[in-house]
Amino acid sequence: MTFQPAGAPTKHRSLFWKYFRALFAAVVAPLMIAGAGEAWFGYHDQRARLNELLDAEARLAAVKIHDFIEGIQDQLSWTVQLPWTDNAGDRRMLDAMRLLRQAPAVESLALVDGTGRERLFVSRIGLNRVEAGEDRSATAPVTGARADRVWFGPVTFQNDSEPFMTIAVAGNRAAVGVAVAEVNLKFIWEVVSGIRVGRTGEAFVLDEPGRLVAHPDISLVLRADQAAQAPLQALRAAIQARAPGQAAAGRDITGKTVIAAMAQVPGVDWQVVVKQPIAEAYAPIYAALWRLGFLLVAGGLIAAALASWLSQRMVEPIRVLEDGVARIGAGQFDHRISLPTSDEFERLATRFNEMAGELAVSRERSERIARLKRFLAPQIAELIDRTGDERVLDGRRVEVAVLFCDIRGFTSFSANAEPEEIIDMLREYYDALERVVSAHGATLVNFFGDGVMVLLNAPVPCTDPELRATEMAIDMQANVQKLLVEWRKLHPELGFGIGLAMGPATVGRIGSGGRLNYTAIGNVVNLASRLCSSAADSEILVDLVAAAAIGTRVPLAQKDSRMMKGFDRPVPVFVVDVARGAALN
Amino acid sequence: MRVRHLGGEGGTGLNRRIAMALLGGVAGWTVSARAQSMPVIGYLGSETQERYRSRLEAFRQGLAEAGYIEGRNVAIEYKWAEGQYSRLPALARELAARNINVIVAAGGAEVALAAKAATSTIPIVFEMGGDPIALGVVTSLSRPGGNLTGVSSLSVEVSRKRLEFMRELRPATGKFAVAMNPTSPTSGAQLKNLQAAADALGVELVVLYGSQEQEFPGMFTAVRDSGAGGLVFSSDPYFAYRSPQLAALSVRHAVPSMTQSRDFPLAGGLMSYGGDFSQSHRQTGIYAGRILKGEKPAELPVQRVTRVELFINLKAADNLGISFPPSILGSADRVIE
Repeated sequence: MTFQPAGAPTKHRSLFWKYFRALFAAVVAPLMIAGAGEAWFGYHDQRARLNELLDAEARLAAVKIHDFIEGIQDQLSWTVQLPWTDNAGDRRMLDAMRLLRQAPAVESLALVDGTGRERLFVSRIGLNRVEAGEDRSATAPVTGARADRVWFGPVTFQNDSEPFMTIAVAGNRAAVGVAVAEVNLKFIWEVVSGIRVGRTGEAFVLDEPGRLVAHPDISLVLRADQAAQAPLQALRAAIQARAPGQAAAGRDITGKTVIAAMAQVPGVDWQVVVKQPIAEAYAPIYAALWRLGFLLVAGGLIAAALASWLSQRMVEPIRVLEDGVARIGAGQFDHRISLPTSDEFERLATRFNEMAGELAVSRERSERIARLKRFLAPQIAELIDRTGDERVLDGRRVEVAVLFCDIRGFTSFSANAEPEEIIDMLREYYDALERVVSAHGATLVNFFGDGVMVLLNAPVPCTDPELRATEMAIDMQANVQKLLVEWRKLHPELGFGIGLAMGPATVGRIGSGGRLNYTAIGNVVNLASRLCSSAADSEILVDLVAAAAIGTRVPLAQKDSRMMKGFDRPVPVFVVDVARGAALN
Repeated sequence: MRVRHLGGEGGTGLNRRIAMALLGGVAGWTVSARAQSMPVIGYLGSETQERYRSRLEAFRQGLAEAGYIEGRNVAIEYKWAEGQYSRLPALARELAARNINVIVAAGGAEVALAAKAATSTIPIVFEMGGDPIALGVVTSLSRPGGNLTGVSSLSVEVSRKRLEFMRELRPATGKFAVAMNPTSPTSGAQLKNLQAAADALGVELVVLYGSQEQEFPGMFTAVRDSGAGGLVFSSDPYFAYRSPQLAALSVRHAVPSMTQSRDFPLAGGLMSYGGDFSQSHRQTGIYAGRILKGEKPAELPVQRVTRVELFINLKAADNLGISFPPSILGSADRVIE
């Protein structure tokens, strides 16, 4: 197991940024999509509104210009209501004078009777004429007015400067004659300069050939300079190129980019163009875009702050967990992760804490076993390890099978042989014995040089310990005899004998502190040791108790009772018929 | 100017501070510094500031419409001929020699011509009653060219209308007197105009000349002596600026008289017919402002103030024992009672 040291920066950063990016994107992406949609539709709505606004302004301006002309026309119609008589002079003169007062744009007025003769002419500048009698019946204003009631002449520029137009109005009968007025169009200035589109937008009037009739800057009209007016004509052409009611962008006389719309003035062949600087017209659009941009940036910042905070909130418990796990991993099992978040993290922390507790218990046990292993036979230690219970080692009295074995002639061999040879030989010998002991579930409790003591039914209880012991002895003989074949080539004096006894014994842990051992104490141990000592090579000697327990399950042969050290009477001895026993196995 | 000089050349701050302390301190310095950055209009007038008062008012109004206010962002330097029109060329040259941005030559063809003769570089805005083309001030109304443009009223052109009104008022009389100023550049054209009108109206003309105030009383007595039915003044600034005097004389001599200026009936005279000077002077102010803003006079068309106004004074008519016919009453722009 490898542990990341607590607080490894790269891991934390990357997780934080992953969360941050995901959360930030989750907030900002919809915001951006909504913002883009808002901008797009807002822009188009504004464009449409602007179109409508300019179109309405143009039509309103056209109506205003029309009102101006119609006002003059109305005034003129008053003078052609009664038929001419021979002596109507004074009353007509009064009418005419009043008209000049009422309509300042009218510079002169001629009244023509039913026969087309000029009866009265009044002027602001020239001398008046009464009953001049000049025949005007063939002139365009008179014939035009007679045909259509109202006649509008073309725009003319007096002295190449001031725009004038002739308006003629006929009465409802031929006999009332025609009023012909010269109108100074400079007076439309008052109308046109009063038109405001937005804050600085203006209107101007062009006649059909494209000459400027009215403009808020009267000097432009008075200059009557076609070249200077070219941009205005271009602007009109640009609007005419678009669908009706659609505004067009272009440049005005000062070179400023404007957006303009146009309307026809009813009655005359003039067009009113209204224009507004594009910067001003689009100002609400730009303002809305700026506002939107600001909101998006603000939203983005808030999203970043939120994402950062949330990521921090998510990463922090993970960091605490990681730190805790690292500490626990490093063996600090008493460490407890504190995460009172009341969510999955807290549950996870609780699990880790539980795990740490279990690990602590487990380590304590394995430490104990390791300690036991140091002093106990590996088999016993493993047994305890397996059961996890040391109580099997507690002292008690049980019926055990005790087996002793050793190598014959080992003492003389070890005196002559090289130490390496001895150690090698013993290693092979113990390897073979341990395999057999393990295979039969016995416990190797002790060994001393070439001698080995093996217990059955303690500390691990088992069934038929006498039979298992006998079979194990036969196996041991088989394995060791194979080794002896090799060894005897150099040392023919070597052999292997086994003694086996059965009976009650006191078993348990003995020793203290740093030195502990598990062993059996009792007469049976002594007896097994003696039997081993008296066994010849390849012989397995068994005592009476074991032989009785075995019965006929393994072929045994009784030998003569022998005197043994520590026993008052001769001890009955049985020998296992190894060849037949091995065949039984 | 002196303060500015010292302030500008003072070199070190200490020197400048001493100079300022000696010469009246910070206030004087800042005023001159502001004057330095302000554009200057040279205003040339044929009379005195007092006689021009109503005209100047209109002029300043126009200037304000163009965004300039005297003393705040524009300085005006005045030159007055005080009625001696022969001084105009010298005054115009004086103005031209100064560092000014635009010359306003208001109050007649004499002023415009004097300014035109004095400079061909400084922009000039004129104000006059005659035809600027006929008088040789400009060659075209729509494209004046050169360094001058301006405003003309219809006063000179409508002299004949005055005779017509007088004839209408006194239809029984076949003889009328006209007053001419022989020094006026428009007098020849006006006399011809008036003579033609007299022929058309079928009346006899008695022509009286006067170019000095002292000659005015003689003109009124001459009207009575000749048996003329009334006195019609030709359009001339010299007459126009002396409307109160003429009104007083007409009352004293009980002569039905008519001039171009509304000031005449307002001061007790019988009636007037002529261009609206408040409009023409206002327009002059607007043009001066536009030129200060950088527009070229050659590109500003000469404007004609088309408005012509008829003022009548009923009290004066009563005193003279005459009454206005309905046609005149009906067409009068203002009736003074």
